[in-house]
Amino acid sequence: MTFFIRYLLTILIFFPTASVLLLLLINKKNEGLLRNLSTFLALVEFILSLYLFVYFKPDTYKFQFVEKFNWIPSFGASYFLGIDGLSLFLILLTTLLTFISLLSSYKYIKENVKEFVILMLLLETFMIGTFAALDILLFYLFWEFMLIPMYFIIGMWGTGRRVYSAVKFVLYTLSGSLIMLFGFIYIFMMHYNQTGNFTFNLLRLYHTHIPEGLQILLFIALFLGFAVKIPLFPFHTWLPDAHTEAPTAGSVILAGVLLKFGVYGFFRFAIPLLPRASFAVAPYIILLGVIGILYGAFVSIVQKDLKRLVAFSSVSHMGFIILGLFAMSAISISGSIIQLLNHGITTGALFLFVGMLYERMHSRQIKDFGGVAKKAPILTTLFLISVLASVGLPGLNGFIGEFLILIGSFRYFPVYTIVATSGVIFAAVYLLWMFQRVMFHEITNPEIEKFEDMNLREIFTVLPLIILMFFIGFYPIPILDRIDPTVIHFLSMLHHYRNSNSIIKLKTGLSNV
Amino acid sequence: MYNNILPAVYGLNLIEKSMLSIIPEAVIILFAFLVLFLTFFEKLAKSKNPYYLSLIGIGFSILYVLMLSGRDLNGFYGSIVFNSFEVFLFTAILFSGLFAVLVSKDYMKNSNMPNPEYYSLILFGISSMMFLVSSNNLIMIFLNIEFMSITAYILTGYFKGNKRSTEAALKYFILGAFASAFLLFGAVFIYASTGHLNLYEIHTFLKNIAYGGLIKSGGGMGINIYLTAGLLLFLTGFAFKMSLFPFHSWTPDAYDGAPTPVTSFMATGIKLAAFAIFLRVYTLIYNFNIINFNGILWLLAVFSMTFGNIAALLSSNVKRLLAYSSIAQAGFILIGIIGGGFYGYSGTLFYLLAYIFMTAGAFTIVIIFENSDLISLDINKYSGLGYKYPFIAASMSFFLLSLAGIPMTSGFMGKFYVFSSAVKSGYNWLVIIALLNSAIAAYYYIKIIVKMYMPDKEMLNSSAVNSEGAFGIINGAVSDGLIITIIICLFFTLLMGIYPQIFINFANNSAASLWKI
Repeated sequence: MTFFIRYLLTILIFFPTASVLLLLLINKKNEGLLRNLSTFLALVEFILSLYLFVYFKPDTYKFQFVEKFNWIPSFGASYFLGIDGLSLFLILLTTLLTFISLLSSYKYIKENVKEFVILMLLLETFMIGTFAALDILLFYLFWEFMLIPMYFIIGMWGTGRRVYSAVKFVLYTLSGSLIMLFGFIYIFMMHYNQTGNFTFNLLRLYHTHIPEGLQILLFIALFLGFAVKIPLFPFHTWLPDAHTEAPTAGSVILAGVLLKFGVYGFFRFAIPLLPRASFAVAPYIILLGVIGILYGAFVSIVQKDLKRLVAFSSVSHMGFIILGLFAMSAISISGSIIQLLNHGITTGALFLFVGMLYERMHSRQIKDFGGVAKKAPILTTLFLISVLASVGLPGLNGFIGEFLILIGSFRYFPVYTIVATSGVIFAAVYLLWMFQRVMFHEITNPEIEKFEDMNLREIFTVLPLIILMFFIGFYPIPILDRIDPTVIHFLSMLHHYRNSNSIIKLKTGLSNV
Repeated sequence: MYNNILPAVYGLNLIEKSMLSIIPEAVIILFAFLVLFLTFFEKLAKSKNPYYLSLIGIGFSILYVLMLSGRDLNGFYGSIVFNSFEVFLFTAILFSGLFAVLVSKDYMKNSNMPNPEYYSLILFGISSMMFLVSSNNLIMIFLNIEFMSITAYILTGYFKGNKRSTEAALKYFILGAFASAFLLFGAVFIYASTGHLNLYEIHTFLKNIAYGGLIKSGGGMGINIYLTAGLLLFLTGFAFKMSLFPFHSWTPDAYDGAPTPVTSFMATGIKLAAFAIFLRVYTLIYNFNIINFNGILWLLAVFSMTFGNIAALLSSNVKRLLAYSSIAQAGFILIGIIGGGFYGYSGTLFYLLAYIFMTAGAFTIVIIFENSDLISLDINKYSGLGYKYPFIAASMSFFLLSLAGIPMTSGFMGKFYVFSSAVKSGYNWLVIIALLNSAIAAYYYIKIIVKMYMPDKEMLNSSAVNSEGAFGIINGAVSDGLIITIIICLFFTLLMGIYPQIFINFANNSAASLWKI
């Protein structure tokens, strides 16, 4: 058991890969077995990941479940894993959403089932690896290869202009990450010039002394990589296309997990590596975030396509998260992290519901629906809960995150916060208006008459998410408890470096140690 | 005391030491002649014997390289050297030759061209590359480049009646002859200004003069001008073989017109040998900053990458696309040389090795899908292949991703290595341009993957999915030589991407021996 706990992260990362090897042996024709087995293996993976939660010590900011082996000594790169409060919950979210999206695609994915389940599980490996890696080269390896399975998922099982969307998705994120790679290499070489050691160990690179002007340039390099992924306002154009054309499972993973990597990257890499630059550029990034909130909301209001609407709402929600993160107060960062999880849960659920509507009607246009509530009461109820969670109704999870973010940011950026608050109102407008047009009104489309309610599998697909919405809404303490040490350490580290540390080190000549 | 005994025990007098230093090449040449003799016997010539004999020859050569590894040999009055640098490059060249032979079996059987001559030419080509890499003398360099080029000209035009093939060979030959003239002229100038042919002696000579301050002041003897002219001309000759931007124009035509196994051989072997010998000459002679050669290389690298990528973006023929991409790759490899130092040269060697496996792998798959009547292949022919041939298409995707420099592949590690060496030396803009170029490059590599896995409905009709090839894939099974090549390439591409440390050590050893004068 101690062995199991000690290498739990490695097991979590490579269990899906091992599953892929197992699935490769199964005949392509045997689709039922492939679906059931892959879903079962994803469930096992989720249960394994719960051990992380159980054995996670909430009273320390230090990285836990640390594993470290030499990997490429010539570059000073090591196989270095470890998680803190943030990555713990993101890994749990990843394993949960992978299971759910595999369960959700029983009906949606009709052809090439084998390739689909293999790519999903492969994607899981790289997602967990990205959250767990504390070595920059290892992180980059996982980060960038993640694009490939996602690209195939969008391109092979998507709808409409799937190839265009898939290629756009890859090229946008790839260009961003390549510039980011330059930033990493530069910091790596600066550290080498200061200490004479090649190392990609993140915890050591935190101590690199970088002058402020250079920090801002490097921050821009890293920013491009992460901002495309979030996506922040001017870099968001790939997102609606990719979300709209991807299959349901792809959208859920894309919204639920892949968008989190940008924020995670800022939290783990960009801000602690370049603290002074982050303080300097924070107002501008928050401005972009607030523009994103309003822009996403306005564009959502006029969308005719359900999935595109949910996709643009993501842009709006991610704006809140960026506002909270760059306001740099403990409360707002905690709120951001909570909101990060909320976004994964609620937007994932919304995409699942849109997927169910699409499976029944083969249309995503709002005008084709109307009066669904009369035919499908269960679906309507659960969908309403998700919508309200996304709007931020007190008692559901969205409220907690947005409330913390707004409270925390108000002290430092009052104007932006006030403007951002209006985003909550607009969220209510576009989501509830959409819900009203889809679910209520008279039945105009004759096909609605044949509309079937959710079956047991579909209920089980969304049930975990619905439970989580209520749970976080009423009792977020288990999560906040585990996040708080991380957040407080993050801030103290930041202020430490910002104020005194680098000056003292420079004066005493310790910057080279 | 042992100094007197050891030569007696090992018998290493001058002649024997010289012979020892060229054993790997000599074995290959021996087998090349053996294969050639098979033409006298009609029955043997038509059988598969030349193929197997070449494989055995390459196997023996690898064996000798392994046996000699770790030794430091100087042969023929210093004009041939053999040390860890050569061990690394011989291994790479022999792999490249091995792939060329392995993939030729079905291709040649199908083409009705004389069999043994082809294999013996490939073997001669391999040996010439090995000679080139180990030569340490201006005359040896020129001779071996000519030797290598002549085999390449013949192989390019090997399809005798075929217009494209002949045209390609003629273009390659005429331009190549010019390049050789430049190279020779450069060698003459270098000899005129330094008075030495041996690279080590030139190096020593220049070092003494540099410390005496003569180079900067012009030396009073006009050394500066002649040396500069010589080095520039020499660089031109090399740049042609490395297919760098202004000297690249032969590449797409020659790669496109040549039989595909030969294209693969040219893209891997010749490029590798040219880069390796350039690396040696560069460290020994160019590094004295007579003029700023790094600035010239900077321009060459930037133009090669940008031109190669943009041209590849526009081409719809797989072989031409890979040819342009090889120009771009040459630009990337050059970054390691510009970055310089131990780190940079080791990175260059690592990238070269990685490049061999991924390029050979990609070309092997082009061969599989190539029909006898289609010398060139349109990208649209690849529509939907991913579903019919899952393993081959997946391997192709992997090689292309490696060429694009996506992590988990050797291409990423190679790029990372050379880029970080350039950042280390302060060439930040070069790296940024290179990274943007990688993003462009990703587009056209992904274009092929799109065709294979996400085909349009109309394209499926013109696709190669339904047409059974005359070779390569027979009754749904890929023939053994091709599949072995793919598996070897796949294995190394993956291993170098995931656990590159072994290969980095190998490259480090090799780069270290560059300075062993």
